[in-house]
Order: sequence, then structure tokens, then C-alpha cells
Amino acid sequence: MIAPYIFNILILICIYVILATSLNFALGYTGLLNLGHIAFFGIGAYASVLLVQAGIPYIIALPAAGVIAGFFGFLLILATRKIKGDYLALVTLGFSFVIHSVLLNWTSVTRGPLGIPGIPKPSILGFTISSGFIYFIFALIIAFITWFILNKIVNSPFGRLMQATRDDELGLRVLGKNTSMIKTKVLIISAFFAGIAGSLFAHHITFIDPASFSLQEIILVLTIVIVGGLASLRGSIFATIIILVIPEILRFLSLPGTIVGPARNMIYAVILVAILLWRPRGLFGRVDLN
Amino acid sequence: MIIAQLIVNSLIIGSIYGLVACGFSLIYSTNRFIHFAHGVSIVIAGYMLLLFHSTLGLPFILSCILSIIITSLIGWGMYNFIFASLQKRNASNVILLIASIGILIFFQNLIQIIFGAGIKSMNLFQAKSIEIFGAIITPLQVVIILVSICLFFALYLFTSHTKIGRDMRAVADDRQLASIMGINTKKIANYSFIIGSALAGIAGILITLEQNLSPFMGTNLMIKGFTGAVIGSISFVPGAILGSFLLGFFENFGIWFLPSVYRDAIAFFLLFLFLLLKPKGIFNWNKGVKK
Repeated sequence: MIAPYIFNILILICIYVILATSLNFALGYTGLLNLGHIAFFGIGAYASVLLVQAGIPYIIALPAAGVIAGFFGFLLILATRKIKGDYLALVTLGFSFVIHSVLLNWTSVTRGPLGIPGIPKPSILGFTISSGFIYFIFALIIAFITWFILNKIVNSPFGRLMQATRDDELGLRVLGKNTSMIKTKVLIISAFFAGIAGSLFAHHITFIDPASFSLQEIILVLTIVIVGGLASLRGSIFATIIILVIPEILRFLSLPGTIVGPARNMIYAVILVAILLWRPRGLFGRVDLN
Repeated sequence: MIIAQLIVNSLIIGSIYGLVACGFSLIYSTNRFIHFAHGVSIVIAGYMLLLFHSTLGLPFILSCILSIIITSLIGWGMYNFIFASLQKRNASNVILLIASIGILIFFQNLIQIIFGAGIKSMNLFQAKSIEIFGAIITPLQVVIILVSICLFFALYLFTSHTKIGRDMRAVADDRQLASIMGINTKKIANYSFIIGSALAGIAGILITLEQNLSPFMGTNLMIKGFTGAVIGSISFVPGAILGSFLLGFFENFGIWFLPSVYRDAIAFFLLFLFLLLKPKGIFNWNKGVKK
């Protein structure tokens, strides 16, 4: 009985590591205040499920989910590359709001508030990933690949350009660097991995509805990134484990089901505000959010 | 008469957005950060009214006054326990925004735990609708429109003809200069949170009477109020209210041509357009955007 429960948490940790590191990639390293990251997660989830239901093999649907999310990332950055600071935060928040309302209202495709039940477990080249353990290994491999790629990028010359964009965009432009292009690439990559995480999430939970990707779900991934510290992939990974395990205590308090979800979100909100108040750089953060 | 009905609907929804925008804009103008949790202050007021009037059976007027006082106190608490300490540490306005979203989510979920996730409605004042120029409107909706027009003038007079109001404008204009001139900026920030949250209380009560109540309605209201404020002028309260009325007109005339599910998309599109092309709003009031 205990094994499926443990594997469920481990799989979710892998998924949220992908989501949090990809958000930190944009938010922490490049200073792109994207509060709409959860929308890419949702786009990836829906895209992957709809593709699989249309008969496309999962091995193609998974990267396709990332590419579609990346495309939306491209659209978002195309429109917002001139906006900065809290205004950018608000527009990206508005973006996730619109995506949520599209998922809710485009009933002919998304089934609206009813959600899509009975999503098949991924099947790769004839092998179906049905057990929790194999799914965990699968998610772990993808999380590792994500970390590997993102880590490679942030430590490359391009990674230094990203951080320079965050610290002094004007200065970088004086040096003749195209900062809009840097931001565009970063947000596409960030959205791509969020889409991948969405696909893994959908096929793990096997049920998705617009509420799974509503605005308030951003609190979890935002808390992870802030607790772990900006511009620290390692921090985001540690923080994901801590933040996902803490609310599990609630399960052992035998609270009614209707309270567990909101109580968990309240814990995240308290952690988020407490970290901002007393330890603004998080566990491993190297920069302040400006 | 479809045009008359559309105009009336625009006025109603515009008033509601205006009620959201006025308190938000008052807080923004003196504090320079987006107080997103303003949305939840509105929802708190609604649930307080439900608690005092429907559950505890207190008289309606008393319940309203208590709701407004409690909302005001919560706003004051948010400022003093969280935002003031963050500001003391020179946290950027982005940090303040994120903290504010944290507070919003905290209270939304607290409300859900206490009152349940379901939609509540008060069903008070179900008077007969009246007809004006072929448009149907309920007396409550007339009250909502009148209250927001009154607030519009009251806030205009307050910011231009009272000492606190003028100090607020001075702080909004240039915080440092105002502080040099002997204005206690912390006190002004406190006032703006107390008054702004009281306005959220009034908005919450009227919205509760007009629409249904649900724990998560604050976010939607906030995005609309914010859009209205940006269209008008985010740091000029009367401008924010007028902007909200404009948003109401855009939305209602927009869904005359488009399916009604695009209502939210219209607001988002306008928000986008204004932030991109005219971030100071159509009234172009002072240094609305510092960047």
C-alpha cells in the first residue's frame, strides 16, 4: 500500500523539478518575471493528451507538447518583450488567466470544466509504462535531461548573456547584444520544458481539468523557486523536494479531503511570504529579485 | 432596444470594475506596487456580510458597517505586518507584488476552508426590474451605478480638497520630496491602505448583492479592476474609475459581436494594448509608470 504513495510523491517531485528549474531559468537567470508559467504547464498537458487521443504515439506527443508550449512562449514574449517589472508580471498573470478561460470555455476540444478523464499511461515503442516504479524512472530520466540541458545553457556563454540581461539590459545593448533575442530564446526554452512537465503530469494523474492549471497553482512553483533561490538550479531541486514533502504531513492528520487542498495552498503561501520577509535569497539564491 | 440594454449593462459592469479599481488605484498611487490582494479584501467583505447578516442575523446596515471595518482592519494588517517590513528592507515592487499574490492565495484558501468552495448567494433586495428607454435594470443595479459615480466625485474631492488627500497626492507624485517636506509617508501609506480597503469593503458588499459569492472571484475582479485602472490612469483614482467604465463598454459591445466567452479575452487584450502602447493610461496622469 505504501509503495504507490511513495512513487506518486517521487514522480511529482520529478515533474515539479522540471517545472521549477525551467521557471528559474527564465525568472532567476534572465530576470523575466513570468507569472504565467503554469499556463505552459497546462498547454503541454492538454496538447499531449489531445495528441495521444488522436492516435499519435506518446514518443512524438511528449516533445510535441513541449514544442506547442514553446510556441505559446514565443507568442507571449513577442508581445511582452518591451514590458518590464511588475507590469510584465501582471501581463503574464493575465496570460495564464486567458489560457485557463480558454481551457474552460473551448468545450468542444477540452470538455471544459468536466476535464479529460481516463488518460492512458504512456506507451513507448509498444511498452506501456504502467507501474509507479517505471514511471518514476521515466520521469527521473526526463528531469535529469532537463537539468542537464538547462545547466549546460546557464554555464555557457549564452548563460552569461542571460544573467547580464537580468543585471543590466541597457549595458548589454550598448555592447551590441540583441537582448530581445536572448529573452525570446529563454522564454521559448522555459515554456518548452514546462510543456514537457505538463505532459508527464497529465499521463501520471490520468485526469486533467482546467482547475489543475488555474492561476492559484502558480503559488506552488513560485514558492519552490523563491525558497530554492533565484539563479540556482540546485536550489530549485532541493526546494522542490522540501516543498512537496512538507504538506504530506497533512495527510496524516486525517483531515477531510475538502480541507487538505486549500490547507496545502495556505502552507505554500505562508512559506512564500515568510521567505520573502526573512530570507529573501532563499536557500541557495545568489541574486535579489528586482 | 439592444443598444440601450448594452449601455446599461456596460454601466453596471463598469461600476463594479470601478469599485474594484478605485481602492486599488488609491493604494497603488501612494505605494507604487500592485496590491493584488486587494481582490481578496473585496471577497472577505462579501463573506463577512454573509456571516453577519445571513448567518448571525444582524441588521443589514450594521452588518455592512462591520464588514467594511473588518476589511479595513485586514488591509491595515497586511500593510503593517507584511508590506511595511518588506519596504523597510528596500524590497523591489516585484517582491511586494509576489507577497501580495501570496496573501491573496492564503485568504482565498482560508475562505474556502471556512465557508466551502461552493457558490453562495444572498438573494436580498429582489425588487422588480424597471425599464428605462427599453433597457431592463434592477433597483440594486441603479444603486451600484450611483454609488460608484458618488465615489468618483467623493474621491476626486478628497484627493484635491483635504489635507490627507493632498498629502497622498504629494506622496504619489514624489515620495522622497514629500518626505523632505515633512509629510509622514508611512502614515500616508497607512491611510491609503485603510481607506483603500474600506473601498474594497463597499465594493465587496455591492458585488455580493449583485452577483454570487465564491472564494476565488477575487482574482478575476482584480484583473478587471487593474485593467480598468491601467486604461484610465493607474495612479489617478478618478481616472481609474473612468477607465473601468470604458472597460465595461468595451466588454459589452465586444461580446455583441463575439461569443460571450471572449469577455475575459477582451479585457486581457486591452490590458496588453495599453501596457504596451499607452502605459500611462488615456488620462496620461503624472509618472504612472516609473520605468
